[in-house]
Order: sequence, then C-alpha cells, then structure tokens
Amino acid sequence: MKKICISLLMSVPLVSLAQNPVIRDQFSADPTARVFNNKVYLYPSHDIMPPAGQRQDWFCMEDYHVFSSENLTDWTDHGVIVTQNKVPWVRPNSYSMWAPDCVYRNGKYYFYFPSAPAEGKGFGFGIGVAVADNPEGPFIPEPEPIKGISGIDPCVLQASDGNAYIFWGAGRCAKLKPNMKELADDTPTEKVKFGEREFEMKGVNCLKGLPSRQAEGPFAFEYNGNYYLTYPYVRENTEVLGYAMSKKPMGPYEYKGLIMAEHANGCWTNHHSIINYKGQWYLFYHHNDFSPRDDKRRSVCIEKLYFNPDGTIQEVKPTMRGAGINEATEKIEIDRYSEASNDVTTSLIDTVNTFRGFQATLPVKGSWIKYNDVNFDCLTEGYLIVNAKAAGNTTLYVREKSANGKIIAKIDMTVKPESPAGTPAMFRRDFSNQWLTLTAPLEYMPKGVTDLVITCEGDAGVSVDWIQFKNRPKYFSAVTTPTAKPDDEGFIRRWLLLEPIDKPNSGNTVFTDSYLREHFNTTYFKGQQTIVPKNGQKVKAEYKKVEVAPGFGRGFGQQEPAEPKVTTVKQTLTWHALDSENMNVKLFRFAEKWGQQVYGVLFWAVTIIDCDEDIENVRLAVGSNSASMWWLNGEEALLLSGDRRMVKDDAMSARLTLKKGRNILRGAVINGPGMSDFCVRFLDEKGNPVTNYTIKAQ
Amino acid sequence: MKRLHTLLAALAVTAAANAQIGAPYIHDPSTLAECDGKYYTFGTGGGGIITDDGWSWHSGADRPGGGAAPDVLKIGDRYLCIYGATGGGLGGGHAGRILTMWNKTLDPKSPDFKWSEAVEVCASDGMEDQDAIDPGLLLDPTTGRLWVSYGTYFGTIRLIELDPKTGFRKKGNKEKDIAIDCEASDLMYRDGWYYLLGTHGTCCDGVNSTYNIVVGRSRNVEGPYLDNVGRDMYHGGGKMVIAAEDRACGAGHFGRFIVDEGVEVMSFHWEADFEQSGRSVLAVRPIVWKNGWPVAGDNFKGGNFWIESERRGYALELTVDFVRMQQERQGWFNRNQMEQPVKPIANQTLAEVIDTWPKGDIPARICDYMNRPHQRWTITPVDSAGGYLSNPYFKITIEGTERALAATANKEVTTVAAYTGADEQLWRIEQLTDGTYRIMPKAIPGQEGVNKEFCLYSAGDSTPTLAKYDFNTDNCKWNFKKH
Repeated sequence: MKKICISLLMSVPLVSLAQNPVIRDQFSADPTARVFNNKVYLYPSHDIMPPAGQRQDWFCMEDYHVFSSENLTDWTDHGVIVTQNKVPWVRPNSYSMWAPDCVYRNGKYYFYFPSAPAEGKGFGFGIGVAVADNPEGPFIPEPEPIKGISGIDPCVLQASDGNAYIFWGAGRCAKLKPNMKELADDTPTEKVKFGEREFEMKGVNCLKGLPSRQAEGPFAFEYNGNYYLTYPYVRENTEVLGYAMSKKPMGPYEYKGLIMAEHANGCWTNHHSIINYKGQWYLFYHHNDFSPRDDKRRSVCIEKLYFNPDGTIQEVKPTMRGAGINEATEKIEIDRYSEASNDVTTSLIDTVNTFRGFQATLPVKGSWIKYNDVNFDCLTEGYLIVNAKAAGNTTLYVREKSANGKIIAKIDMTVKPESPAGTPAMFRRDFSNQWLTLTAPLEYMPKGVTDLVITCEGDAGVSVDWIQFKNRPKYFSAVTTPTAKPDDEGFIRRWLLLEPIDKPNSGNTVFTDSYLREHFNTTYFKGQQTIVPKNGQKVKAEYKKVEVAPGFGRGFGQQEPAEPKVTTVKQTLTWHALDSENMNVKLFRFAEKWGQQVYGVLFWAVTIIDCDEDIENVRLAVGSNSASMWWLNGEEALLLSGDRRMVKDDAMSARLTLKKGRNILRGAVINGPGMSDFCVRFLDEKGNPVTNYTIKAQ
Repeated sequence: MKRLHTLLAALAVTAAANAQIGAPYIHDPSTLAECDGKYYTFGTGGGGIITDDGWSWHSGADRPGGGAAPDVLKIGDRYLCIYGATGGGLGGGHAGRILTMWNKTLDPKSPDFKWSEAVEVCASDGMEDQDAIDPGLLLDPTTGRLWVSYGTYFGTIRLIELDPKTGFRKKGNKEKDIAIDCEASDLMYRDGWYYLLGTHGTCCDGVNSTYNIVVGRSRNVEGPYLDNVGRDMYHGGGKMVIAAEDRACGAGHFGRFIVDEGVEVMSFHWEADFEQSGRSVLAVRPIVWKNGWPVAGDNFKGGNFWIESERRGYALELTVDFVRMQQERQGWFNRNQMEQPVKPIANQTLAEVIDTWPKGDIPARICDYMNRPHQRWTITPVDSAGGYLSNPYFKITIEGTERALAATANKEVTTVAAYTGADEQLWRIEQLTDGTYRIMPKAIPGQEGVNKEFCLYSAGDSTPTLAKYDFNTDNCKWNFKKH
C-alpha cells in the first residue's frame, strides 16, 4: 500500500518557481541540497501545523519529502520518502522528524534523519539511516538508530581522504564505518557536563572555543583543500549562519565569520546547506515567509554564494528574488523583486491561506520594482499578461533594466469602466481592488537575459502579483513558395486578403439575403470584382459608412436611431498574400494584426486556382463566420446568409466547372461581433475533396 | 357547442403544459441538482430557482460570486459548483476565470449551507483564442474522473480535468481544445460514448435569438467529438438536439438529469417563451436516444389518444361488452352491391354504446385496438395538482366522459364514473429514452405519499395492473397514438 501511495505522489509533480521561497504549496525547512546525477535534490524537513494534542507553538514534523530540479527554478515534489510511524525505532506520533541529510556512496543513497526514540531506544534524539537505490527512494529505514549518537541535525561529509564523517548537534563529529551505518571503532569518547549532570559523548566537539552559543545544524564541506564547518548559532538573540575552516575534517577549526546575519523579522532559526551546481555556489536556507506570525513554520530559500580568493566566504544577504534565471514564458512572481523604490511594500495576498503568495504594492506614480534575470530567448511573437489590482484607473509600464528604460509593454488598467447609458445594474462593472488578469501587446521584445522594471505611471497605485509573457500562436505565414496545393482535406489555405473595411453593423442576425446582396454589391474600391492583386498592393477605398449602435437588439434594449449618422470614409487598404496555418482562415487575427478594427468589418479575399484540365461537377464548400458571398470567375457561386458560424461544409454551391488554366475565386466575408474566419474547399460528386490543382497568390 | 368545448379544452391544454410553472425565470441554467427531494438550478448573475415537486419553480437558490453560467454536480455527499467570473466579453473582455466551490447542501435554509472559498481552476488571458466562462461538469461514471468543458465563440471549447476530491485542477493537467464556435457546452457519458453538447447561434436577442443546442460524440473523453456525418466539432460540426418549438425559441445551456433508469431529461433555457412575454425561462424536456444520439423528446401536452401497450400492441380499454356495429356486409361475392358507389361509414359513437356500460367503477383491460369509444381516451393536464420534472399531472378520461382511470388500493387499475381530482386519478406521464412512455399514478390508495415506484403495467397481454417500474421490460411501456 505504501508503495502505491508513493507512486501516486510521484506522478503528480509540483512545479515551483525561482523566487524565494522555492517550495510554495507546503512548508519546508532545514534544507539539505545535494547534487546527484547532474540534478539538485533537496531534502528539507517538513513543518506542518500541529494537530490537536500536539504543542501548538512548537516545531511539528512527521515526514520527509524530496524535491528535485535541473535549473533551481522548477522543483518536482517526489512525495513522502520517510514517515515517523513507519520507522521502527521512532516514538509514534512524536512529530520530531528534524533536519536530515542524504549522501551517495557505493551505489546506495543514505538518508540520515533525527527523531525522538521510542521507549527503551534511548533518550533525547537519535539519528537513523534509511537506504535507497535512487535519490527519490524508496528508502528503507534501518530498524535501529546509529549507536553512540544522541543528538539532532546529521550531516555527512565524504572527505577526500576517503572517509565519511558524520557531524551532528552542536558541532560534534565522528568517523563512520564504510557501511555508513555505524561509528568507527576508534571513535573517541569524552565526558561532557550539562549543568550538574555529566554525560559520556562520542566523537569530538569541533566548535570547542569558537563562537557557538546554541549551535546546531552543522553542515560541513570541502573545497580547494579546505574543510568548512558551517552552522547556525545565536550571536545575540536569534540565529545567524557562521562558519569555521580547517585543513582536516575533524578540525581543529578556526572561526571565520558570518555567512548570513540574523533574519530581519526575528525568525529565530536558520538552517542551511551549500552546494556547487554547474559551476556556481548556492546557499540553501530557510525563512518563515509563509508563516510570518509563527516562526516554527518555515520555507526554503536559495541565494548565490561567493568565495573570496583566500577561501573565505562572502556574507550572503537574503533576497525575495532568490537565485535562478526565469524564462519569460514562466509565471514570474514579480512581487519577489530584486530592487524597488523606497515606497514599495510587500504583503501576503491572503493572510490565512498564505500559500496564495505575495503582492507588491506600488503606491504612487513613479513607484517601481525591478526583477533581475529573465530570459527572452523563448519568446518569438509575444504578449504580456499581468495579474494586478488597483483602486482606480491607472497605467503601468513594463520597462527594460531601469525605471526609465525602454518600454516593453504598457498596461492601461480601467477598473471603473464607463457603462453605456441604459446598462442594467447587474451588467455595470466595477473592478476596483479586484485581481485582474490583463494583457498587452509588446512594444518591444528584449533579447537574451535581461532585467524587468514595472513602473506605476498612472494616477492610482497598483498591486502586482505575477507577470508572464506568452507566445502567440502562428495564424499566418508570408507566402514564400510560388505555388501551393490544397491541404489533405482539400482546403485552400493560400489567400490574398484585403485589410478590413470598416462596416458597422448591429450584430450577425441582420445579415439577411437582401442585406448581403445590397452591401456586397456596393462598391468600396475600384476593381472590387475584377482585381487580382499582388502582395502589398494598395487600394483606395471610399464609401459611405452608416453608424450603427453595436449590440443593438443583443443585450440592453438599444434601438436603432431613427436617422443614423452617415459619414464618407476614405481608407487606404493593403492586400496581403498569406498562407493560413489552419484549415480555417482566421480573419479576426488577420484584422487584429493588419486592420483598423476587428468587429463590424467586411473582408475581401482572392485566390488563384490553376488547373491542368477542366474539373467538372465540383461544388464549392464553404463555412464562414459570419455571412459570406463567393464568386468563381466572376460568377456568383454561393451565398451564406444569416447568423453563420464557421462550420466545415456548411453550404455548397451548385455543380461548377473549374476550367483548364486560371480560375479566380473571390469572396467577401462580413462580421459583427465574434471571431471572423472561413474555410473553403471544392468537393467532387462523391463528397471527396478536390486536390488536383495548384494555388497561387499572384 | 361541443366543438367550442373541445376548442376551449385544447387551449387550456396548451396554456397549462407549455412551460414549467411558477417563476421559472432563469438564464444559463446549471444542470438540475437534487437535494433533499428538491431540485435546484443556478443561473447567470447569482442566485437560482428551486422546485419542491419538479414542476412549480420559485426563486431562492443562493450562489455567491456573481459571474456567468454556473454548473452544479453532486459528488459524494457534497455539491460542487463551478462558474465563470468575468470573461464573456462583458466588461471584463475575454480574460475569464473559472472557479469551483463546495457546499454540503443547496438549501439556503439549512444550517449546513455554506459555500467553501472559491478556487480558480482555469483562466483565459484575453488575448488567446479562448474565453473561460460557461463551464460544464462531467463525472465519468466509468473512471470516476472529473472533467470540465468551457469556452465561448471567442476561440475554442476546452477540456480540463479536476480532482473530484478537492474540486481543484488536477496537477499537471493541460487544456485540450475540443470544439470551436460554441458556447454553453456540457459533457455527458452514455453506453461507451462521450457526448459534447454545445450551443450555436446568438443569445440574448429575445424572440429573435437563434440559440440552438448541437451534439457530437467520441469514444474518448478528450475527443475528437464527431457529429453524425463524421464532422469534428473542432471544425464546426454538430447535430441538432433542439432549437425551437411551438411558442418558444432559443434553446441553450444543456444539462442532463437522470430521473430513473431509462428516464432522462434535459434542462436548458428558452431565450424567449412566447407565452411569458418572451422571457428567458427554464425548460425541461425528455431525452430520447435514437441510434446513439440524443434527441429532444415530446413536450407532452395531452390530447385524444388510444393508449398502446408496448408489450403486445394492444389498447387500454374499459372492461365492457364489445358492441357490434350494424352494417350490411360488403364484398366481392355480392356483385350487385359492388356496383353501387362507395360511401363512408360513421365511427361507432359514445352515445351508441354508453348505455351498455355499467354505471359504477369499470375495471381497465387491454385488448386489440378497434377504435371503439371504450378505447378512446382524453388526456388532460391538471392545473394546481403539482407535477414532476417535465410535466404536470394528467387526468386520463374516456373521451367525451368524466370516467377517469384510477389506481386501486390493491394496485390494480380501474375507472371511476366521475373524475374527482383524487391523487389516485392523477397520472405522471414521462417519455422514456426509447421513445415509449411510462404512466404512474400520483398516489395509490392506502400508501403514504407520492408514488414514485409503481407504474401502469401489462401483467398479461390483456391485463393491466400496477407494478414496480423496470425499464428492462416492455410491460412498463406505453405509447400514445392519435386515432
């Protein structure tokens, strides 16, 4: 059963992101990171809210998860690997599964963990071992804890002398036997006094005489011929991370200073590990971000760590941004910024469900936040999505590198839209102080890895949660080949499309047969029914535009005005030779990219069909959104009237002949609201697609 | 006079049975959900309507969160509500969010009534070909997996999976596009097929709304959903389920509710009910399954019928003497007669036979159909006697009389000389999924409460009785035939 549970958990990976904390759906503390098989494995302890009957203001941990990542930004939760009531020597429901470690030796992974022993198995804390063939388990716990160790926070150092050393508690150290489960036979013993009582303890105290008040959580590693013993201790009131160096694994060690100072918010503990991954050193540590009022529920964070030339370590400042490069297409928790103007504040979105994360508030015009290291290589044709809220209408910008840097995108936040007169109350909108997901096209697309700055440049302040860049789907590509064929289903995908004519209408239900005949036979530009345009060719359109209230009839009881306003419109419109990526030619997206408006529009489309011989008894099969009319070689072939949707083979022409040589197929599509598109093919007598012709755009 | 009488009766029939009664005013109704014997449906904008008996609706259902087009499904002992906030092009553009929340009950008066905090399960960003509103839920009966279809004309209809234990999005689940040019979609499963319902046409234009419900089906919940000519709904395909009917138009927002084995109804709204000022109202119609496709069943309004047993094809009749019609025999063997011009023969009339009938109770019987007065029935909806999902109760009387079909205490079927309105003379008539009907007395004398078990049953070819409904036997099934 346990196996089943584990595999189920393993099949639902959790994806977290680069920003601190890195695990965002549960608490995680005392992080030991290790590099196995070119991946980073994270073995934290697992803080939980104490169940009833447990001390509510104390640490509470019943099991261990393991997480892995290849880029320090996406973390996969492999689920529970060891749990208290499945370890024979652990006192049931003691909730004391404190800081662990995991190392690899001779084909096995050894997971070390402290816990409270069951009756008759010792006193205080013991340290157990669980063994696995893979870093994510399954781990089989040994029946007994390591003999001779009483304490917490194991760390195993595999030194270049070929030995493994275990550190625990307040900096004690002993050599392990090659079986990794027992202390070496020559482990020394010393008598240690605690108050009035005297205990016999194994190993040596590596921190003797060093700044080490209430020291715990030792983490030892070797680099450039030096051994580093790093550890939390209380410098004044709460813990700092300090370190000492030695030329030998078991010391003597010399104190060198701080790796990280006290947490600014008073979080009492810190606990850490240090790894080198792909050439960069990283410090893993914890902070109580998701539990600001209770520092016994902590979360793992990561920062880059640097050495001085003399081998000493540069002090690390905790940041919200953390380590790792974000891909622009990831959801970026921009509230975990790298830098900000002084007036910016950060707060939990939901103080009860803290895992909903944080918001950064830019209170006034001019406020900004900066977020480092976003990689734009993944973006081809992108747009921006922002999750934000504001009390009033405002504007924010995303800029590159600085608060007056190049504009990437501008987002107008209209949280109090004006409602048209007569709008019923239930349809009137007020989005002030609501989280909104807003999109904006990009004015400029950065290249490579760069820094983003969000600036508030409107009259109201704004709070932001996350941003994300997304690639737009490809709808069209420029024609690059001299001829094309119909696709496998016979659909014609190569078209010359004219930028849309501004043609207001009140909705798709007005497209009656007589309306369409009148409006399709109106001349908008010269040669409308004869032109075989070239790519880029411009036409001058001039026509009378009749204003119609949009949405008339649909919705709020607007009536057509008695005397509609008529204006003469002059537009210069361009023909575009395009290959559609889809069987349906998405005119809406064409209009969005090249047109003045996307709704209330009239499109003209032309394609050239070259046949080697007469193809008789074929039918033109069309679906269009909304109504459309089609002409083959100047003859009307098909009219789709009424409130149409893009339905494959919605309507068919009478039997036609595609003549030998050049044929011109011309269409006009009219649309009110909705996403205009069409699909066109020829079908033979049996309903099979006709494909034995070529298509040209000029 | 008689003609006028019939006409009035016919008018009364139409008016009474055209729509759910009370205040069935709703737009974008959720699939019907049953809670403690009451039915609920929730609509756009918040709130919803309730019925105690399935027929008479009143307002009072409560759903926070506003937004559009919720769906509600009972999972275990809780109700999952899913709805769209913003999106739909209404003020918020096409950036939509779909949220789920739970409640232990749908009854706002219950002390257990409390919606959990709504959680987002999917969203559209406003730029993509998608508009995250109009969710429809399916709990797959074969796998226990929970699916949602959602979207509008602004792009695609999408499918996602939720965790049925939490109502959260299943971790790692990716959206899949399964249709275009629909809104108000829903999913259902039947007999190895998954069905995707979509609404085409234009809503919200009163009596000119062209809303209509279409369907495609797939062996796989993730599609492709093909229509009856093999066209993918992703290419605009779809087979019509219902568009309009006499006095109502604009069918949208399908939901399926299984009443009993072989008894299924679809709920939806009419954009405009011509009997009720063109208001948007709830409609409930039987689902009939034809060659693996759902079609809208009869909006049964009563009328004059003979009642055919599915068992043998016999007709329900009074146990009375067969009265021979006096008619000189005609035939090929009488050359003189054959040379005369033909003339029509009148039907046997009620007046010709009624005096031969006993005056008191007459038991019912089933016999071969001869179009005789003792086989001709008038079925009339009864106002103010309540109803069930899809219809009010009916009285079933011999045409031209007040003699009414009634259930007896020993679960047999008789006719009483005069209809009194007693519950055992009221009949629940529901079209079954195979197109036949079941006929159930509202009450059986001596039994507590409303009867939901016993139906009119062919004990033998000729012998009607009351027995427990079982879809798997033709003994429970009947057809209404015009003379």
